[in-house]
Amino acid sequence: MMSRPGLAGLLLLGLLVTRAGLSQGVGGSVAIDANVIGQALTITTLSDLNFGSVPKGVATTVQPTAAGAGAWQIQGSKNADVSVTFVLPALLTNIQALPGSTMPVSFGATSARWNRATNNVAAATVFNPSVGATGKLGPPANPFLYIWIGGTVTPAAAAKPGIYTGTIIVTIAYL
Amino acid sequence: MKRTGLSLALLCGAAPLAGQGVVIAPHAVFIDARTRSGAVLLYNPNADPAEVVISFFFGYPATDSAGSIVVRTVEHPDATSPSAASWIQAFPRRLTVPPLERQTIRLLASPPPGLADGEYWARLVISAKGGQLPVTGVADTAKLKVGLTLEVRTIIGVFYRKGAVHTGVTLSGLRTAVVGDSLAVWARLTQQGNAAYIGSAHAALLDSTGKTLAELKAPIGVYYAMEPRWALPIGALAPGRYRLRLDLSTGREDLAPELVLPSPPVRDSVEVRVP
Repeated sequence: MMSRPGLAGLLLLGLLVTRAGLSQGVGGSVAIDANVIGQALTITTLSDLNFGSVPKGVATTVQPTAAGAGAWQIQGSKNADVSVTFVLPALLTNIQALPGSTMPVSFGATSARWNRATNNVAAATVFNPSVGATGKLGPPANPFLYIWIGGTVTPAAAAKPGIYTGTIIVTIAYL
Repeated sequence: MKRTGLSLALLCGAAPLAGQGVVIAPHAVFIDARTRSGAVLLYNPNADPAEVVISFFFGYPATDSAGSIVVRTVEHPDATSPSAASWIQAFPRRLTVPPLERQTIRLLASPPPGLADGEYWARLVISAKGGQLPVTGVADTAKLKVGLTLEVRTIIGVFYRKGAVHTGVTLSGLRTAVVGDSLAVWARLTQQGNAAYIGSAHAALLDSTGKTLAELKAPIGVYYAMEPRWALPIGALAPGRYRLRLDLSTGREDLAPELVLPSPPVRDSVEVRVP
Protein backbone atom coordinates (compact mmCIF):
# COMPACT_ATOMS: atom_id res chain seq x y z
CA MET A 1 0.00 0.00 0.00
CA MET A 2 1.37 3.41 -0.90
CA SER A 3 2.46 5.60 2.00
CA ARG A 4 0.81 8.98 2.55
CA PRO A 5 3.95 10.95 1.54
CA GLY A 6 4.22 8.85 -1.57
CA LEU A 7 0.61 9.52 -2.34
CA ALA A 8 1.18 13.20 -1.74
CA GLY A 9 4.07 13.18 -4.20
CA LEU A 10 1.93 11.56 -6.84
CA LEU A 11 -0.88 14.00 -6.23
CA LEU A 12 1.50 16.90 -6.54
CA LEU A 13 2.61 15.48 -9.84
CA GLY A 14 -0.97 15.65 -10.92
CA LEU A 15 -1.25 19.23 -9.73
CA LEU A 16 1.89 20.45 -11.43
CA VAL A 17 1.54 18.81 -14.77
CA THR A 18 0.48 21.46 -17.19
CA ARG A 19 -3.12 21.52 -18.28
CA ALA A 20 -4.66 23.23 -21.21
CA GLY A 21 -5.67 26.78 -20.47
CA LEU A 22 -3.19 27.33 -17.67
CA SER A 23 -0.30 29.72 -17.97
CA GLN A 24 3.03 28.06 -18.55
CA GLY A 25 5.04 30.83 -16.92
CA VAL A 26 8.65 31.50 -17.75
CA GLY A 27 10.09 28.57 -19.61
CA GLY A 28 7.37 26.30 -18.35
CA SER A 29 6.68 22.99 -19.96
CA VAL A 30 5.41 19.63 -18.94
CA ALA A 31 8.93 18.25 -18.86
CA ILE A 32 10.30 21.00 -16.64
CA ASP A 33 7.38 20.81 -14.26
CA ALA A 34 7.76 17.08 -14.02
CA ASN A 35 11.45 17.48 -13.21
CA VAL A 36 10.83 19.50 -10.10
CA ILE A 37 8.37 17.13 -8.55
CA GLY A 38 9.27 15.80 -5.18
CA GLN A 39 7.65 15.21 -1.88
CA ALA A 40 5.83 18.08 -0.28
CA LEU A 41 7.07 19.95 2.73
CA THR A 42 4.38 21.27 4.99
CA ILE A 43 4.81 23.48 8.02
CA THR A 44 1.59 24.11 9.83
CA THR A 45 1.05 26.45 12.73
CA LEU A 46 -1.09 24.46 15.13
CA SER A 47 -1.54 27.28 17.62
CA ASP A 48 -0.27 30.77 18.29
CA LEU A 49 1.46 31.63 21.54
CA ASN A 50 -1.30 33.12 23.63
CA PHE A 51 -0.88 34.48 27.16
CA GLY A 52 -4.52 35.47 27.42
CA SER A 53 -5.32 38.13 30.01
CA VAL A 54 -2.40 38.99 32.24
CA PRO A 55 -2.31 41.05 35.46
CA LYS A 56 -0.43 44.35 35.56
CA GLY A 57 2.89 44.34 37.33
CA VAL A 58 3.17 40.56 37.46
CA ALA A 59 5.26 38.41 35.15
CA THR A 60 3.26 35.73 33.39
CA THR A 61 4.86 32.64 31.89
CA VAL A 62 3.43 30.20 29.38
CA GLN A 63 5.38 26.95 29.43
CA PRO A 64 5.90 25.13 26.13
CA THR A 65 3.81 22.34 27.61
CA ALA A 66 0.87 24.64 28.33
CA ALA A 67 -2.28 24.96 26.28
CA GLY A 68 -1.37 28.53 25.33
CA ALA A 69 2.00 27.56 23.85
CA GLY A 70 2.78 28.16 20.20
CA ALA A 71 3.02 24.97 18.22
CA TRP A 72 4.03 23.87 14.73
CA GLN A 73 3.88 20.62 12.83
CA ILE A 74 6.39 19.89 10.08
CA GLN A 75 5.79 17.13 7.58
CA GLY A 76 8.37 16.08 5.03
CA SER A 77 10.73 13.29 4.07
CA LYS A 78 11.04 10.53 6.60
CA ASN A 79 14.10 10.71 8.85
CA ALA A 80 15.23 13.99 7.28
CA ASP A 81 17.16 16.46 9.40
CA VAL A 82 15.83 19.98 9.73
CA SER A 83 17.30 22.93 11.58
CA VAL A 84 14.96 25.06 13.66
CA THR A 85 15.83 28.66 14.48
CA PHE A 86 13.81 31.57 15.79
CA VAL A 87 13.69 35.32 15.48
CA LEU A 88 12.23 36.40 18.80
CA PRO A 89 10.76 39.76 19.79
CA ALA A 90 11.90 41.59 22.92
CA LEU A 91 8.90 43.90 23.11
CA LEU A 92 5.23 43.52 22.33
CA THR A 93 3.22 46.45 21.07
CA ASN A 94 -0.17 47.55 22.29
CA ILE A 95 -2.22 47.81 19.12
CA GLN A 96 -5.05 49.65 20.86
CA ALA A 97 -3.07 52.36 22.60
CA LEU A 98 -0.98 55.27 21.43
CA PRO A 99 2.41 54.39 19.94
CA GLY A 100 5.04 53.62 22.52
CA SER A 101 2.93 51.40 24.72
CA THR A 102 4.94 48.19 24.93
CA MET A 103 5.46 45.12 27.09
CA PRO A 104 8.70 43.15 27.51
CA VAL A 105 8.68 39.50 26.47
CA SER A 106 11.48 37.03 27.10
CA PHE A 107 12.38 33.44 26.29
CA GLY A 108 14.48 31.17 28.47
CA ALA A 109 16.72 28.19 27.93
CA THR A 110 13.77 25.81 28.35
CA SER A 111 11.15 27.79 26.48
CA ALA A 112 11.02 25.51 23.47
CA ARG A 113 10.67 21.82 22.76
CA TRP A 114 10.73 19.56 19.74
CA ASN A 115 9.54 16.02 19.25
CA ARG A 116 9.94 13.53 16.48
CA ALA A 117 7.00 11.74 14.88
CA THR A 118 4.29 12.32 17.48
CA ASN A 119 2.39 15.30 18.86
CA ASN A 120 3.54 14.66 22.43
CA VAL A 121 5.01 17.65 24.17
CA ALA A 122 5.59 15.75 27.40
CA ALA A 123 8.13 13.53 25.67
CA ALA A 124 9.72 16.33 23.68
CA THR A 125 13.32 17.52 23.82
CA VAL A 126 13.88 20.86 25.53
CA PHE A 127 15.92 23.51 23.74
CA ASN A 128 16.69 27.19 23.94
CA PRO A 129 14.81 29.04 21.20
CA SER A 130 17.48 31.71 21.14
CA VAL A 131 19.99 29.04 20.11
CA GLY A 132 17.83 26.81 17.95
CA ALA A 133 18.03 23.07 17.43
CA THR A 134 18.45 20.39 14.82
CA GLY A 135 15.62 17.91 14.76
CA LYS A 136 14.78 14.84 12.78
CA LEU A 137 11.52 14.01 11.12
CA GLY A 138 9.89 10.77 12.10
CA PRO A 139 10.16 7.37 10.45
CA PRO A 140 7.96 6.30 7.50
CA ALA A 141 4.64 6.01 9.29
CA ASN A 142 4.95 9.42 10.94
CA PRO A 143 7.32 11.72 9.01
CA PHE A 144 6.57 14.59 11.35
CA LEU A 145 8.41 16.92 13.67
CA TYR A 146 6.59 19.03 16.26
CA ILE A 147 7.81 22.25 17.86
CA TRP A 148 6.44 24.14 20.85
CA ILE A 149 7.40 27.50 22.28
CA GLY A 150 6.47 29.37 25.44
CA GLY A 151 7.71 32.60 26.98
CA THR A 152 7.34 35.19 29.70
CA VAL A 153 5.74 38.61 29.53
CA THR A 154 6.47 41.25 32.15
CA PRO A 155 3.84 43.98 32.09
CA ALA A 156 4.61 47.11 34.04
CA ALA A 157 2.34 48.08 36.91
CA ALA A 158 1.32 51.08 34.85
CA ALA A 159 0.84 49.19 31.60
CA LYS A 160 -1.97 50.52 29.47
CA PRO A 161 -4.85 48.12 28.88
CA GLY A 162 -5.34 46.68 25.43
CA ILE A 163 -4.07 43.96 23.13
CA TYR A 164 -0.31 43.45 23.00
CA THR A 165 1.02 41.56 20.02
CA GLY A 166 4.28 40.68 18.32
CA THR A 167 5.61 38.16 15.84
CA ILE A 168 7.78 35.11 16.35
CA ILE A 169 9.48 33.93 13.19
CA VAL A 170 10.43 30.27 13.02
CA THR A 171 12.79 29.19 10.28
CA ILE A 172 12.85 25.58 9.17
CA ALA A 173 15.74 24.63 6.95
CA TYR A 174 15.60 21.34 5.14
CA LEU A 175 19.07 19.82 5.41
CA MET B 1 -15.84 16.76 -5.35
CA LYS B 2 -13.69 17.79 -8.27
CA ARG B 3 -10.52 15.78 -8.86
CA THR B 4 -8.26 18.67 -7.92
CA GLY B 5 -10.20 19.35 -4.76
CA LEU B 6 -10.02 15.72 -3.79
CA SER B 7 -6.29 15.67 -4.48
CA LEU B 8 -5.68 18.69 -2.33
CA ALA B 9 -7.75 17.27 0.47
CA LEU B 10 -5.76 14.06 0.39
CA LEU B 11 -2.52 15.99 0.10
CA CYS B 12 -3.20 17.73 3.34
CA GLY B 13 -3.98 14.57 5.19
CA ALA B 14 -7.17 13.06 6.37
CA ALA B 15 -7.38 15.35 9.37
CA PRO B 16 -6.84 18.94 8.25
CA LEU B 17 -5.29 21.23 10.82
CA ALA B 18 -6.69 24.60 11.64
CA GLY B 19 -3.50 26.67 11.68
CA GLN B 20 -1.80 28.64 8.98
CA GLY B 21 0.94 27.26 6.84
CA VAL B 22 1.52 26.47 3.21
CA VAL B 23 2.36 23.25 1.46
CA ILE B 24 5.60 23.56 -0.47
CA ALA B 25 6.71 21.19 -3.20
CA PRO B 26 9.23 20.08 -4.07
CA HIS B 27 11.61 20.41 -1.14
CA ALA B 28 14.59 20.70 -3.48
CA VAL B 29 14.68 22.35 -6.90
CA PHE B 30 17.06 21.24 -9.63
CA ILE B 31 17.57 23.63 -12.53
CA ASP B 32 19.20 22.49 -15.73
CA ALA B 33 21.40 24.99 -17.58
CA ARG B 34 19.63 24.15 -20.81
CA THR B 35 16.27 25.39 -19.54
CA ARG B 36 17.45 27.75 -16.78
CA SER B 37 14.12 27.56 -15.06
CA GLY B 38 12.36 25.72 -12.30
CA ALA B 39 9.20 25.94 -10.29
CA VAL B 40 7.92 25.62 -6.76
CA LEU B 41 4.29 24.97 -5.94
CA LEU B 42 2.61 26.59 -2.96
CA TYR B 43 -0.75 25.49 -1.70
CA ASN B 44 -2.68 27.20 1.07
CA PRO B 45 -4.86 24.63 2.84
CA ASN B 46 -6.30 27.13 5.31
CA ALA B 47 -9.30 29.39 5.54
CA ASP B 48 -7.19 32.57 5.66
CA PRO B 49 -5.02 34.02 2.88
CA ALA B 50 -1.29 33.45 3.27
CA GLU B 51 1.11 36.29 2.56
CA VAL B 52 4.26 34.85 1.03
CA VAL B 53 7.64 36.46 0.38
CA ILE B 54 10.38 34.71 -1.60
CA SER B 55 14.12 35.37 -1.26
CA PHE B 56 17.48 33.64 -1.76
CA PHE B 57 20.77 33.32 0.08
CA PHE B 58 23.89 31.22 -0.22
CA GLY B 59 24.30 28.50 2.35
CA TYR B 60 24.73 24.80 2.68
CA PRO B 61 24.32 22.05 5.29
CA ALA B 62 27.33 21.53 7.51
CA THR B 63 27.93 20.10 10.97
CA ASP B 64 28.62 21.90 14.21
CA SER B 65 30.99 20.73 16.93
CA ALA B 66 28.37 18.31 18.27
CA GLY B 67 27.80 16.69 14.91
CA SER B 68 24.40 18.27 14.42
CA ILE B 69 23.61 19.31 10.90
CA VAL B 70 23.00 23.03 10.50
CA VAL B 71 22.73 25.44 7.62
CA ARG B 72 25.91 27.43 7.25
CA THR B 73 25.06 30.81 5.81
CA VAL B 74 27.60 32.75 3.78
CA GLU B 75 26.55 36.38 3.53
CA HIS B 76 29.25 37.40 1.10
CA PRO B 77 30.37 34.37 -0.89
CA ASP B 78 33.68 34.87 -2.68
CA ALA B 79 34.26 34.23 -6.35
CA THR B 80 35.28 30.64 -5.74
CA SER B 81 32.05 29.73 -3.97
CA PRO B 82 29.51 27.86 -6.08
CA SER B 83 26.82 30.36 -5.23
CA ALA B 84 23.82 30.85 -7.46
CA ALA B 85 22.01 33.06 -4.97
CA SER B 86 22.75 36.29 -6.79
CA TRP B 87 21.62 35.19 -10.23
CA ILE B 88 18.50 33.15 -9.65
CA GLN B 89 15.29 35.13 -9.45
CA ALA B 90 11.82 34.17 -8.35
CA PHE B 91 8.61 35.32 -10.03
CA PRO B 92 6.67 36.57 -8.20
CA ARG B 93 8.65 37.45 -5.11
CA ARG B 94 5.63 38.61 -3.13
CA LEU B 95 2.22 37.09 -3.37
CA THR B 96 -0.90 36.23 -1.48
CA VAL B 97 -2.14 32.68 -1.76
CA PRO B 98 -5.92 32.66 -1.30
CA PRO B 99 -7.52 29.98 0.86
CA LEU B 100 -7.56 26.53 -0.71
CA GLU B 101 -5.70 27.75 -3.77
CA ARG B 102 -2.29 27.07 -5.26
CA GLN B 103 0.31 29.31 -6.78
CA THR B 104 3.41 28.48 -8.77
CA ILE B 105 6.66 30.31 -8.15
CA ARG B 106 8.84 30.33 -11.25
CA LEU B 107 12.59 30.37 -10.80
CA LEU B 108 14.70 31.82 -13.59
CA ALA B 109 18.49 31.56 -13.66
CA SER B 110 20.66 34.21 -15.34
CA PRO B 111 24.17 32.90 -14.74
CA PRO B 112 27.21 35.01 -15.57
CA PRO B 113 28.80 34.36 -18.96
CA GLY B 114 31.57 31.79 -19.03
CA LEU B 115 30.28 29.92 -16.01
CA ALA B 116 32.29 26.72 -15.60
CA ASP B 117 30.64 23.33 -15.67
CA GLY B 118 29.43 22.21 -12.29
CA GLU B 119 26.70 22.56 -9.75
CA TYR B 120 25.82 25.89 -8.13
CA TRP B 121 23.77 26.27 -4.99
CA ALA B 122 21.34 28.65 -3.41
CA ARG B 123 18.81 28.44 -0.61
CA LEU B 124 15.28 29.51 -1.31
CA VAL B 125 13.46 31.16 1.58
CA ILE B 126 9.67 31.01 1.59
CA SER B 127 8.22 33.25 4.29
CA ALA B 128 4.55 32.67 4.97
CA LYS B 129 2.37 34.67 7.27
CA GLY B 130 -1.20 33.72 7.92
CA GLY B 131 -4.08 35.57 9.47
CA GLN B 132 -3.79 37.74 12.52
CA LEU B 133 -3.75 36.26 15.96
CA PRO B 134 -7.32 35.92 17.20
CA VAL B 135 -6.94 37.84 20.43
CA THR B 136 -10.39 39.17 20.96
CA GLY B 137 -12.92 40.04 23.57
CA VAL B 138 -11.52 42.97 25.50
CA ALA B 139 -14.88 43.82 26.94
CA ASP B 140 -13.07 44.67 30.14
CA THR B 141 -10.94 47.55 28.91
CA ALA B 142 -8.82 47.44 32.04
CA LYS B 143 -7.31 44.10 31.04
CA LEU B 144 -4.09 43.36 29.24
CA LYS B 145 -4.43 40.75 26.50
CA VAL B 146 -1.25 39.26 25.07
CA GLY B 147 -0.63 37.05 22.07
CA LEU B 148 2.12 36.46 19.53
CA THR B 149 1.66 35.67 15.88
CA LEU B 150 3.83 32.91 14.48
CA GLU B 151 5.43 33.42 11.08
CA VAL B 152 7.02 30.54 9.23
CA ARG B 153 10.09 30.62 7.02
CA THR B 154 10.92 27.51 5.08
CA ILE B 155 14.32 27.03 3.48
CA ILE B 156 14.87 24.57 0.66
CA GLY B 157 17.82 23.90 -1.61
CA VAL B 158 18.16 25.07 -5.20
CA PHE B 159 20.71 23.34 -7.44
CA TYR B 160 21.77 24.74 -10.83
CA ARG B 161 23.61 22.23 -12.98
CA LYS B 162 25.67 23.14 -16.00
CA GLY B 163 27.48 20.75 -18.29
CA ALA B 164 29.19 17.67 -16.92
CA VAL B 165 28.45 17.29 -13.23
CA HIS B 166 29.68 14.46 -11.08
CA THR B 167 29.79 13.73 -7.40
CA GLY B 168 31.15 11.33 -4.86
CA VAL B 169 32.01 11.07 -1.21
CA THR B 170 34.83 9.74 0.92
CA LEU B 171 34.21 8.21 4.32
CA SER B 172 36.81 8.25 7.08
CA GLY B 173 37.18 8.42 10.83
CA LEU B 174 34.27 6.10 11.58
CA ARG B 175 33.89 5.71 15.33
CA THR B 176 31.23 4.89 17.89
CA ALA B 177 30.38 5.24 21.57
CA VAL B 178 27.59 3.81 23.68
CA VAL B 179 25.63 6.71 25.14
CA GLY B 180 22.78 5.62 27.37
CA ASP B 181 20.49 3.40 25.33
CA SER B 182 21.93 4.57 22.02
CA LEU B 183 25.02 4.01 19.95
CA ALA B 184 26.47 7.30 18.80
CA VAL B 185 28.16 7.11 15.41
CA TRP B 186 30.52 9.69 13.93
CA ALA B 187 32.18 9.79 10.53
CA ARG B 188 33.96 12.32 8.39
CA LEU B 189 32.38 12.76 4.99
CA THR B 190 34.08 14.69 2.24
CA GLN B 191 32.41 15.64 -1.01
CA GLN B 192 34.14 14.82 -4.29
CA GLY B 193 33.58 16.13 -7.79
CA ASN B 194 31.84 19.34 -8.80
CA ALA B 195 28.41 18.69 -7.31
CA ALA B 196 26.97 18.06 -3.88
CA TYR B 197 26.68 14.48 -2.75
CA ILE B 198 22.96 13.94 -2.24
CA GLY B 199 22.25 10.52 -0.89
CA SER B 200 21.40 8.37 2.07
CA ALA B 201 23.28 7.02 5.04
CA HIS B 202 22.50 3.57 6.42
CA ALA B 203 24.05 2.58 9.71
CA ALA B 204 23.57 -0.96 10.97
CA LEU B 205 24.77 -2.67 14.12
CA LEU B 206 25.50 -6.34 13.50
CA ASP B 207 26.22 -9.20 15.86
CA SER B 208 28.85 -11.86 15.29
CA THR B 209 26.52 -13.80 12.98
CA GLY B 210 25.82 -10.81 10.81
CA LYS B 211 22.33 -10.31 12.17
CA THR B 212 21.16 -6.71 12.22
CA LEU B 213 20.37 -5.61 15.77
CA ALA B 214 19.70 -1.93 15.13
CA GLU B 215 19.76 0.30 12.12
CA LEU B 216 19.15 3.84 11.02
CA LYS B 217 18.55 5.35 7.61
CA ALA B 218 18.78 9.05 6.98
CA PRO B 219 19.00 11.32 3.96
CA ILE B 220 22.23 13.26 3.73
CA GLY B 221 23.76 16.04 1.66
CA VAL B 222 27.51 16.58 1.64
CA TYR B 223 28.52 19.90 0.16
CA TYR B 224 32.10 20.20 1.42
CA ALA B 225 33.26 18.20 4.45
CA MET B 226 31.18 17.36 7.48
CA GLU B 227 31.29 15.15 10.55
CA PRO B 228 27.70 14.17 11.36
CA ARG B 229 26.66 12.29 14.44
CA TRP B 230 23.93 9.68 14.31
CA ALA B 231 22.32 7.82 17.19
CA LEU B 232 21.11 4.25 16.86
CA PRO B 233 18.67 3.13 19.52
CA ILE B 234 20.13 -0.12 20.81
CA GLY B 235 18.37 -0.55 24.13
CA ALA B 236 20.09 -2.83 26.63
CA LEU B 237 22.76 -4.50 24.54
CA ALA B 238 24.47 -7.55 26.03
CA PRO B 239 28.19 -7.16 26.66
CA GLY B 240 30.27 -8.35 23.74
CA ARG B 241 31.71 -7.44 20.39
CA TYR B 242 29.62 -6.11 17.57
CA ARG B 243 30.24 -4.41 14.25
CA LEU B 244 28.87 -1.09 13.09
CA ARG B 245 28.55 -0.82 9.34
CA LEU B 246 27.95 2.49 7.59
CA ASP B 247 26.84 2.62 3.98
CA LEU B 248 26.49 5.75 1.87
CA SER B 249 24.62 5.62 -1.41
CA THR B 250 23.01 8.06 -3.78
CA GLY B 251 19.60 6.44 -3.55
CA ARG B 252 16.93 8.81 -2.22
CA GLU B 253 13.29 7.88 -1.89
CA ASP B 254 12.22 11.51 -1.70
CA LEU B 255 13.81 12.59 -4.97
CA ALA B 256 13.16 11.47 -8.50
CA PRO B 257 15.96 9.10 -9.58
CA GLU B 258 16.87 11.22 -12.60
CA LEU B 259 17.64 14.15 -10.30
CA VAL B 260 20.11 12.27 -8.16
CA LEU B 261 23.66 12.13 -9.47
CA PRO B 262 24.85 8.53 -9.34
CA SER B 263 27.99 7.58 -7.52
CA PRO B 264 29.39 4.22 -6.37
CA PRO B 265 28.31 3.24 -2.86
CA VAL B 266 30.78 3.78 -0.06
CA ARG B 267 31.07 1.51 2.98
CA ASP B 268 33.11 1.27 6.13
CA SER B 269 32.76 -0.62 9.36
CA VAL B 270 34.19 -0.58 12.84
CA GLU B 271 34.13 -2.90 15.81
CA VAL B 272 31.92 -1.96 18.73
CA ARG B 273 32.76 -3.27 22.19
CA VAL B 274 30.06 -3.22 24.82
CA PRO B 275 31.55 -3.77 28.30
